[in-house]
Amino acid sequence: MSLIKCENLSKSYGSKLALDSVTLELKPGAPIALVGPNGAGKTTLFSLLCGYLLPSHGKVTIMGEKPGSRKLLGRVSSLPQDASLDPNLNLITQFTLFGTLQGLTKSQAKAEGLRVLSLVGLSDVVKQKPTALSHGMSKRACIAQALIGSPQLVLLDEPTAGLDPVNAKVVRELVKSLSSNITFVISSHNLDELEKLCDQVLYLDKGKLGQSVSMQENLLDEYLTISMQECDHQALISRVEALTGINSVTLKQENEFLIHYAASEIKNIEVQLFTLFACHGWRYKSILKGRTLEDKLFS
Amino acid sequence: MEPNLNTGLVRNTLILAKFELKKLLFNPKGLVALTAFALVWMLILLYPIRGASDILLSADFRQLIAGIFGESLVDRLFQWQVAEMAIFWIAALYLFPLFSIFVSADQFASDKSRGSFRFLILRTGRDSLFFGRFIGHMLIQSLLLMLTVAATILLALSREPSLLLPALGSGLMVFINIFIILLPYTALMALLSLYANSARQATIYAILLWAVSAIVIAIVNTQLPAIGELLSWILPGAQLSMMINTQGISSLIYAPIPLIQAGVLLFLGRSYMIRSSL
Repeated sequence: MSLIKCENLSKSYGSKLALDSVTLELKPGAPIALVGPNGAGKTTLFSLLCGYLLPSHGKVTIMGEKPGSRKLLGRVSSLPQDASLDPNLNLITQFTLFGTLQGLTKSQAKAEGLRVLSLVGLSDVVKQKPTALSHGMSKRACIAQALIGSPQLVLLDEPTAGLDPVNAKVVRELVKSLSSNITFVISSHNLDELEKLCDQVLYLDKGKLGQSVSMQENLLDEYLTISMQECDHQALISRVEALTGINSVTLKQENEFLIHYAASEIKNIEVQLFTLFACHGWRYKSILKGRTLEDKLFS
Repeated sequence: MEPNLNTGLVRNTLILAKFELKKLLFNPKGLVALTAFALVWMLILLYPIRGASDILLSADFRQLIAGIFGESLVDRLFQWQVAEMAIFWIAALYLFPLFSIFVSADQFASDKSRGSFRFLILRTGRDSLFFGRFIGHMLIQSLLLMLTVAATILLALSREPSLLLPALGSGLMVFINIFIILLPYTALMALLSLYANSARQATIYAILLWAVSAIVIAIVNTQLPAIGELLSWILPGAQLSMMINTQGISSLIYAPIPLIQAGVLLFLGRSYMIRSSL
């Protein structure tokens, strides 16, 4: 059964069409990314999936049920954008309420609240009110609430926005470690992060679903992306292009090159490249099979 | 940890209702509100209600009340066995609905504007949330009502201990009647606080609603008295002036009005909740 199914899903706010006939079907599994510029309709799509909003047209189902239906309670959770916890109640009181509403007993709910808060490194502030927390801590608390119980689908709207690098890494690792049991759908502007976490990437622009990119397909792509330390750009391009089976070499950013090759004509491209680098004393920083997500989406 | 999936409508409604009461009793802001309420009632209890027996026997007071409400509307007021409860009845009839507007103005407004509903709605249905909050606010008001009724009974007993049974009996009937009166006020505030972005805005909407409705009904009354008469029963509190001259079980004769009003307002509020964006 499909995890999420949207058929001609549209949402208007007055005369503004925020989501325009989106049709998609997503299966459970590895984390799925949702990207797009500001105002593309990502948060609207998330809100429709969570049942916060009702569609203007079209149909959406999650695990075969309408969003907000009783059968989905506790099975779908989310980190909504711009939503904040009750400022008058401490974290553990609110998390215990969430747990009991999901069917846990009070003591189970409290234990579960402590568990998820410890997952995001907030064990020592469980008795604090949200007003006493920094922006990053509040964000982590909101992520923690999405993990209470046993959700099958977790929608995270910009989970690492506003987090420092260390805590952003903690969140990424948390998502990675839980993704064998939970399907995450993550909306973010951080393409590097999505590249590390997700397999499937959906691109939304002006309310329309553009392309769907699979990171697994990268392995079949006849591209290599190489980041170099200091090197002579022109010399590198001309030397690599001179190799048999290389179609083109393009300088994408400062010291980053995209190599397009014909796999049938060149068997051991990596070995040949390393030999070339060694001959000229060029040092590389990274080598990626395929193209970067940014290049796939915007080139 | 596996949940037992006991996420029933009734269970979650009761959890949310109890949580509202807990928020009042274990939260500094709630306790401040409770203290303010207690101080206002302490003044009412200490002065008019404590001196109730003297007041009710005073010809001046009788004249004043008759002047405000009309002789035929207040004759039974002077027949209450427990004088303190009679004065409490008049005060409570008008003050509790007023308190209700303020106490239940934030059933949904703040949560909706800061997005906290989004954390709840994936865990419990909109019905549970709506009725849970409504019942919670009725519980809060019941607690306040119970405390004031108990204080009035104690005042009556301090004057005349033999009034225990009549005081308990009339206290119970006052509690039931005021509780029923508060139902449509709380239901109306549930509806308005769903629409408003803050408790203050919900209160302003309530004041506007009563003011505009009174003007409209007055205009309709001059042109079409039959329809005007009918419209005057729509607003919560329409029966209050008639209830002054009732006591005990006979006050319940007016109970269908607030019960029907509450039913209609809860239906409207629930429909709005189901269709609204959170």
